Amino acid sequence: MRTLRRCLLTLLLLAPTLSLQAQPSGELVIALPNDPTALYIANASDVTTIAVTRQLYDGLLWLDDQGTLHPGLAERWEVNEESTQYTFYLRQGVTFHNGEPFTAEAIVAAWEYGLTPGNEYPQYYSSAESVEALDDYTVRVTTPEPDALFLIDLVEGWFALPPRYLEEVGLEGFQAAPVGTGPFMLEEWVPGDRIVMRAFPDYWNPDEPKVERVVMRVIPDSTTRMAAIQTGEVDIVNRLNVEQATLLESNPGVRVISYPNDRVFYVAFKNLNSGAGTPVESRLVRQAFNHAINRPGILQALFGGHGQLATGFTAIGNLGYDPELQPYSHDPQRARELLAEAGYAEGFTIGLTCPADAYTNINEVCLSIQRDLAAVGIDLELEFLTTSKFWSEPNYGSTGPMFVDGWSTPAGEALPRIEGAHYPGLYYTSWVDDIITDYIDRLTATIDRDERAAIYRELSRYLFDNPPFVYLYTLNIFEATTSRVTGYRPLPTETWYLNQAGVDG
Amino acid sequence: MLQFLFRRLLQSIALIIGVLLLVFFTVRLTGDPVGLMVARNATPEQREAFRVAHGFDRPLSEQFLAWFGNALRGDLGKSLRLHLPNHELIMQRLPATMELALAALLLALIVALPLGIISGVFPGSPLDLLARAIGLAGQTIPSFWLAMILILVFAVNARLLPSFGRDSAQHLILPAVALSVTSMGQMVRLLRSAVLEITHESYVRTARAKGVREAVITLRHVTPNALIPLVSVVGVNFTYMLGGSVYIETIFAWPGLGTLLNDAISDSDFPLVQAITIFIATFAISINLLTDLIYDLLDPRAGQR
Repeated sequence: MRTLRRCLLTLLLLAPTLSLQAQPSGELVIALPNDPTALYIANASDVTTIAVTRQLYDGLLWLDDQGTLHPGLAERWEVNEESTQYTFYLRQGVTFHNGEPFTAEAIVAAWEYGLTPGNEYPQYYSSAESVEALDDYTVRVTTPEPDALFLIDLVEGWFALPPRYLEEVGLEGFQAAPVGTGPFMLEEWVPGDRIVMRAFPDYWNPDEPKVERVVMRVIPDSTTRMAAIQTGEVDIVNRLNVEQATLLESNPGVRVISYPNDRVFYVAFKNLNSGAGTPVESRLVRQAFNHAINRPGILQALFGGHGQLATGFTAIGNLGYDPELQPYSHDPQRARELLAEAGYAEGFTIGLTCPADAYTNINEVCLSIQRDLAAVGIDLELEFLTTSKFWSEPNYGSTGPMFVDGWSTPAGEALPRIEGAHYPGLYYTSWVDDIITDYIDRLTATIDRDERAAIYRELSRYLFDNPPFVYLYTLNIFEATTSRVTGYRPLPTETWYLNQAGVDG
Repeated sequence: MLQFLFRRLLQSIALIIGVLLLVFFTVRLTGDPVGLMVARNATPEQREAFRVAHGFDRPLSEQFLAWFGNALRGDLGKSLRLHLPNHELIMQRLPATMELALAALLLALIVALPLGIISGVFPGSPLDLLARAIGLAGQTIPSFWLAMILILVFAVNARLLPSFGRDSAQHLILPAVALSVTSMGQMVRLLRSAVLEITHESYVRTARAKGVREAVITLRHVTPNALIPLVSVVGVNFTYMLGGSVYIETIFAWPGLGTLLNDAISDSDFPLVQAITIFIATFAISINLLTDLIYDLLDPRAGQR
């Protein structure tokens, strides 16, 4: 009797919290820096569009802000011994926003629609050779060869699409009224103005989402975004610069969030086209440049120190990041000695191309580099190109023997940018070296994460000693929320899942 | 009269063709859209497929003729980024831009009309000082700067008005004020000098000599004649507001043609940039033609030149 009473009491006490948990409530207003280009996930390309569309869909797996893989629509998965076949066991009882049941066909549909001609981002889907539904809740995906990045392509690109609904309304109809299994359903999209989403009442995770309505407002100007968070007209703003973040820190109603971004900035040396046969082919010269450029000074003066000096393409938070690797010291004396050793005691003239205004303060960074190199006798011919011209030729063919750029990669893996910058035959390859190629082949074929981490560390050492780049820095990203926002966790790729986000009061 | 109309029409068509040419080739000077549109890890084949799908692999002259032909038939093409017909996108955004432009024009007229006339009739009066201050402000204050100051003062500090968006009539106030200031200043200056000039005309002196009351002189003889030059200024300013509101729309997150153009430019969405520019140019040229006609009706001497 006593136990029973205690049980009842506990239940009574729990009741309000239980009902609170189950009922999403409140409205969250998010400022977007640009209008999404599509709400059909296979056409989502830029960061904002990806972030917005993701709330409507679910993938088989998802990655959290720490780079950990979690089950999504797949409860578990297996990989065969050759690492070429993945079997996913799907969650049962999941429905799409329109009531269509979610089955293995939805994953086949996602793959097929992803490969449709006219879809501009086919590379996420082309990593699979075949996708078969073994039964309603089992999917088998085959890749042509072991592909270490396959699961990441899956996380970034593959979201369940409703095959029957798509058949019925076609792609154009779907664009206008997209349907997924995600935590939010689309209520309204006024282009250039707002996107309104409402909590999906039948979401498969009963504890999510936390908030009843999400309103995303397009505010292109950062000054206006600053104003809107101060007046409380919006709850979350991103893409703030250091000055704006500092200004907001003194505001009691606003919380500033800062996290390291995964974009590594660098000065590249080329041994292809315009770089071939120039002094930068000498390892000693490249090491000298690494010592000559005052990277701590640049980070401090232009970014208020809000970032990290980079030691390679494997950045902080990436698999296989080596914290023991110390960045090259700023040492003009050592730089001059190395140049003399390489036979360039008198210095030389060489071209550096800069993508004008492509990134925060990038023009000033290029000018600082010119000044630092002048101090060791290198005469830098600086050229600024518009971004579309800068990236218009294969292998950076429109730039000089050196150029400045930044490269981000999705989901905590450095391989896409290492491969993209070094693998022979790829569009943006600027430095080719047989030893690096060999490492990339090994990384691609190795699925085991510990083994991969070890290869990354070895490769980082090699790239550090034979630098194809002057690795510059990674920067911190600043966002701000009003103090009533809870559970908002942006990912290092500047996207987010709003499953856990809520508002107080 | 008819001959004049015909000549102006021919000129307008030549002008539109000129704009078509200019727009087509200048957007292409900015580089290759493929570099910006296709993901960085895309293979060369995927790049080529994109180029072929959008006709960027064909010679420029051929691309131009194809686009020109379509434009003549009223087909403005499809946006690279948004995958929708450009005319649909323009029509989606046009009402917001029209609303803002008309509100700004109206505001400019409401302030400029009485102020310009009074300051011309009573030069040196306090109201004249105000008019001259507005005239100077319109000429010197950049509207985008004023826009930011307005947000700071009225939204962030005073919390009187919203800082962005197009949710209600209140949301229209700040952007309309920011957009109207340049025109307002110009109209005030123009009216003031026109009135000053006309008050020294012989017919005004005659009226005075006949003993007509000052108020009647101002309303019957001075004002109507001072308004004639205003017609062309109103026309020009209206087109300026349609095309030149890119900054103001962007700052206030006003979902009109300006923000659409801003996005299209930063995305290298060539077809959309071309479509919007051509649309605004054609609109502006039509308004100018209309202004000329009205001017001609009001002042028959103009057409004989």
